[in-house]
Amino acid sequence: MRHSRIFILSILLLSAAVQLRSQNMSDLLIGEVLVDNTCGILDGSGQRNGWIELFNTSNGTVKFGGCYLSDDKADLKKYHIPTSDRSAQLGPRQSIVFYTSGDSSQGTFYTNFKIRKGSTLYLVSNDGKTIIDELEIPANLPADNSVVRVPTGVKAMDFVTRISDRPTPGSYNGDVDAKTKSEVMKEKDPHGWVLTLIAVMVVFTALMILSFIFGWIGNYNKKPSAKGIKASKPRKVKKLKAGEVSPEIAAAISMALSQEFGGEVYAAIALALDDYLGGGIHDQESFILTIKPTPGSTWADKAQNFRQLPR
Amino acid sequence: MNTIVENLQQFWYFTGFANATWQNIAMILIGILFITIAIKKGWEPLLLIPIGFGMIIGNIPMFPGLNIGVYEDGSVLNTLYQGVKQGWYPPLIFLGIGAMTDFSALISQPRLLLIGAAAQTGIFGAYLLALLLGFDPNQAGAIGIIGGADGPTAIFLSSKLAPDLMGAIAVSAYSYMALVPVIQRPIMLALTTKKERLMRMPAPRQVSQREKIVFPIVGFLLTAFIVPSGLPLLGMLFFGNLLKESGVTRRLAETARGPLIDVVTTLIGLTVGASTQADKFLTGKSLKIFLLGLLSFVIATTVGVLFVKFWNLFLKGDRKINPLIGNAGVSAVPDSARVSEIVGREFDPDNHLLMHAMGPNVAGVIGSAVAAGILLGFLG
Repeated sequence: MRHSRIFILSILLLSAAVQLRSQNMSDLLIGEVLVDNTCGILDGSGQRNGWIELFNTSNGTVKFGGCYLSDDKADLKKYHIPTSDRSAQLGPRQSIVFYTSGDSSQGTFYTNFKIRKGSTLYLVSNDGKTIIDELEIPANLPADNSVVRVPTGVKAMDFVTRISDRPTPGSYNGDVDAKTKSEVMKEKDPHGWVLTLIAVMVVFTALMILSFIFGWIGNYNKKPSAKGIKASKPRKVKKLKAGEVSPEIAAAISMALSQEFGGEVYAAIALALDDYLGGGIHDQESFILTIKPTPGSTWADKAQNFRQLPR
Repeated sequence: MNTIVENLQQFWYFTGFANATWQNIAMILIGILFITIAIKKGWEPLLLIPIGFGMIIGNIPMFPGLNIGVYEDGSVLNTLYQGVKQGWYPPLIFLGIGAMTDFSALISQPRLLLIGAAAQTGIFGAYLLALLLGFDPNQAGAIGIIGGADGPTAIFLSSKLAPDLMGAIAVSAYSYMALVPVIQRPIMLALTTKKERLMRMPAPRQVSQREKIVFPIVGFLLTAFIVPSGLPLLGMLFFGNLLKESGVTRRLAETARGPLIDVVTTLIGLTVGASTQADKFLTGKSLKIFLLGLLSFVIATTVGVLFVKFWNLFLKGDRKINPLIGNAGVSAVPDSARVSEIVGREFDPDNHLLMHAMGPNVAGVIGSAVAAGILLGFLG
């Protein structure tokens, strides 16, 4: 029975790990594709081939070894990216280029198929079935123009697809016209009033909601009879005989006599006097100083009376 | 003989005396001034002494290329500085602040949260003024956060938005936090009447342990959902508070509010001080930052007090709030709350405002972290 539980747990953990890996790969995107390369970049063997750019949309590193590239939905496992290649990974918001030379013997980053206009390109997970991303290549795509996914600028993960006559293989597609958020704000809100108004509203709204919630919780707690909430009753303090010392007073005197404590000395004396004069003990009361021995705590331990600082 | 002279000459070129500039000397004197103020006046000694000494360290004139400066990759100081640069010291300090803050005053009177919100206008007032003075929006946001009167928040945000201005912003924030009694008192007196200063508020109600435990969880969920970019600060603040209030993680809470915060405060103070090297610090921009920092404190205090006065128009009887706690929305914990108490007792020695002022004071901490998250979201 016990073994079967461990087995089930292991299976669950393993499947969770696989799931996590898949989630990680789902951060990949086909960032840009160029089919007719007549005057663009050269590959490692000096040839001008079409190329596919993969982009990591996340802020973490993604390993894509084991994934597949294909231009045929009936054969999603057309090109297998080797798992053994250590360079088959992408850093945060980085991209990498695969040359569609049709000859994968040239290296990891050369596909065994040539990309065609009018086809659809697929990026497939390492299970060979799950399509991570797909991109349609227009049949009328001009030479040296690419199909590119450009960030919308609204959300980091939102992209729009368009045709570009300025391909950017291997670099972030928004780079050509990219502006920092600060530059965008400078254009849209040069005097800062819009941001100020929004920010003040958000701060007020957040704290106002918090205020309402705790106002409500406070009112709820003020009605101890409702919903079975009971007000904490003061603990009964045992009447001491003359000369008898309670544990709290003993602890307080012990702390007061110790030279190692600073302000706690006065706190201890205050507690002792308060207790002596009949103030009672406060367990959980706001705004009232509380010192009490707690089970499991070492504060009243004898070792606490030893010297704390090396002098 | 020539060899000895040559070697001595070479040694001379390596000394600080040969490489000193008047800017270095000026910064060293400022560092000494910080240390003196901290020791003699007792103003924020835990911060001003590490910052002051850091300033001296960072401005020791040196021969370039020795790989010991704070801006030289791989040097010891540079390694320690990564906590500031990458922004992981401030959240650790927030963990400690959470573990040492008692939110009871706020939970017992949650309406006082709004005073903390009102005082955050200091941040945005300074942001508008910084834009007016020609700063870029990201720089203006980093400068504006000085008005949050929260050193770790200022360092966190400026390290993300305007790292080149971080030294001046951090020093400005901590300096004005030390000067809170000097800045706030005259504004409070100018904006309130004697009758208002004598106003008494009823004692806060008792807060149950359950409420104290619920507060960090609900507070975090709500603020983090509204402003996820404030997650590092808000998460650590409320997590630290949960450690304190849960009652079962006493050792963790004690470490967070004791040794951990002490270590991080020492390192953050020292490295921020060391980052104020003369060539980066003694510029016209720094002067503007100091001016804007002062104005942000003034705006925050003014709006806090005026907000309470305005609110009182709609309140009756003992629901009215003493406007002297309006300044406490500026989150320089606990200094601004202490100022409320001191000024209140000047006019009525039996009128204790500290417990009431602690409400807006800790609300200011939450408010400034939320504001930092908003600025980071828009400008980061």
